[in-house]
Amino acid sequence: MGKRKSLIKVKPKKYHTGDVVKVNFMVMHPMETGARKDKKTGKLVPAHYINEVKFLFNDKPITTMQTWESLSTNPVFTIYFKVPGKGELKVIYTDNQGEVNEKSKKIKPKS
Amino acid sequence: MERRSFIKGLGLIAATSVVAPSIAMAAEKTASSTKMGIDKALAEITGGKSITKSNKVHLKAPEIAENGAVVPVTIEVDSPMSDVDYVKAIHVFATKNGNVRCANVMLTPANGKAFFSTRVKLGVSQDVMALVETSKGEFLSASQNVKVTIGGCG
Repeated sequence: MGKRKSLIKVKPKKYHTGDVVKVNFMVMHPMETGARKDKKTGKLVPAHYINEVKFLFNDKPITTMQTWESLSTNPVFTIYFKVPGKGELKVIYTDNQGEVNEKSKKIKPKS
Repeated sequence: MERRSFIKGLGLIAATSVVAPSIAMAAEKTASSTKMGIDKALAEITGGKSITKSNKVHLKAPEIAENGAVVPVTIEVDSPMSDVDYVKAIHVFATKNGNVRCANVMLTPANGKAFFSTRVKLGVSQDVMALVETSKGEFLSASQNVKVTIGGCG
């Protein structure tokens, strides 16, 4: 189970409790559809895509997504989120080959 | 005692042989359901309820996408996102892809703003569609045509 590169960005950088901030989640993933042929061998490349993404704040779900292979390679997910206070924003993502990964970011509002 | 356990075992085998194929069939069903038309996919979500086109749903996508492999799609819904009135889910569809479904996004009032943005793959020129489910049980939609110069699949 290789570790995937992923990134969570919160915009703007400075925010207060109660602000609505933009959360950008990027992940490096091939997102194979299962319909593409390998040019060298001529065989179909098996489907490999993210099928579930969960955004949690202090282990409380904010947004859950069910996704399919129609998303682009290295997909980006952007949502908005109202900062309730200090805590940890966690993203758990699962793919159709059973790989489960997570990424977290500390939320520290100014006052 | 031996005979009893033997009969029990027989019963177990019979039970599993009945159950196992049905499990296999269920798995097949879910596998085939990834490839479905737009009408069927919509009906599965709405459960036969009517969909109204609404200008509350703002779908942003490029009119001409040079590369179908990466098409940014942004959906924003005018909603107060309070505990009583909020957007429950945003569904994104690419109407002519092999699998029309792109993402089902379940939102909560903790989001503060009904917004979702991602990047999709488009095989051919087609409509990108957003179906929005509100907490009142309404289904709103918006769609936009995207012309693709180079397909993103295959």
